[in-house]
Amino acid sequence: MTTWITEHWRLLLPLALGWVCVWLLMPRGPHRSRALAGIFGLAGLLAVKFYWLPPSGPLLQDIFFLTFAAMAIIGGVLMITDHNPVYAALWFAIVTLAVCGLFLLNSAPFLSAATVIVYAGAIIVTFLFVIALAQQSGSAMYDRRASHPTLATLSGFLLLGCLMFTLQEWGGQAAAEGGNAFLKVPAGTTANLGSVATEDLGSLRSVGRSLFTDYVYAVEIAGTVLLIATIGAICMAPRRSQGNL
Amino acid sequence: MGDLSHLQGQLVVGAILFALGAIGFLTRRNLILIMLSAELMLHGVSLNLTAFGQYHGTAAGQAFTVMVLTVSACEAGLALALILTLYRRRRSLDVNLWSNLGEPDLPKLAQDILEVSPAPREQPLPKLTPAGPLPRYPKSAPPAAKP
Repeated sequence: MTTWITEHWRLLLPLALGWVCVWLLMPRGPHRSRALAGIFGLAGLLAVKFYWLPPSGPLLQDIFFLTFAAMAIIGGVLMITDHNPVYAALWFAIVTLAVCGLFLLNSAPFLSAATVIVYAGAIIVTFLFVIALAQQSGSAMYDRRASHPTLATLSGFLLLGCLMFTLQEWGGQAAAEGGNAFLKVPAGTTANLGSVATEDLGSLRSVGRSLFTDYVYAVEIAGTVLLIATIGAICMAPRRSQGNL
Repeated sequence: MGDLSHLQGQLVVGAILFALGAIGFLTRRNLILIMLSAELMLHGVSLNLTAFGQYHGTAAGQAFTVMVLTVSACEAGLALALILTLYRRRRSLDVNLWSNLGEPDLPKLAQDILEVSPAPREQPLPKLTPAGPLPRYPKSAPPAAKP
């Protein structure tokens, strides 16, 4: 047990620091030690940076990646722990912008723009809902007390630990032997012809070619899902007493 | 083929976002924030998809992400309609008010809050400011008939 811990302290240290940070920040009453949680969170982020995010390629790309990653993670932590639902929606907007920046680094500019457009509408509607439905005079009781904060954070960080352990295993040993099932293009199958490697990865042309040749059934299904969701939302939305919306 | 360490960084960030979304889904009690936490998990998933797409140099990951985006938009619309309906029933966004939705012969998971929920607030009647002289007669006596 102790040997396992000493072998995997690079995995366990950021997890423990992050768990303490999120557990301290969980809304459980009037008093939260935010400064202590911030110290633990920054230490956890630095541990993740030094042990899990090695420098990869050009310096400018690394700087952008680290900035967007830190924005996404800090915004996510503050979103799930903020007392005020309006601020939580604002933090979610920050996370969405940071994820769009990471999409740009992943050479997906079209997806970045599409995500901004879709989530701009979604976040504005969510704002309207929060302002209309939540109490405007301070945060409500159910926002000031989390439900089962200790158990939930423990299980969440257990999930994160399992994911990162898997990542460590295939990134460490299997990649040294020349890649494994995650990393290799399957040899026995023919690749999807519309999605093969091109020079202009991420442009509207390549995404459209992939969507409308290889994944045209997925596009049809997505359209059907949108139609059914529209019908369902109209059916579920509350009606006025007059009978029309 | 892309860079392995770049892929690993993206996967770590995606995993962290997914776990944070899961924690938010479990701990928040506001219905709107539960929906936003699910969207946070979807962000982590689409980050993974685009990272693998870039690593393999194909556009398949971005096509999958378009699918994820569509499904998340549908989910947001349906969830907001559902939240509005639930809010109009109980006048609250607390998810604990809905913990007894099972069959009637099953054991109740929580105390039934329906009886405990406060009555709807009565609207105060509008009051006019008094104008003119006060009436002279005492309140108990009937007013004098007009000639």
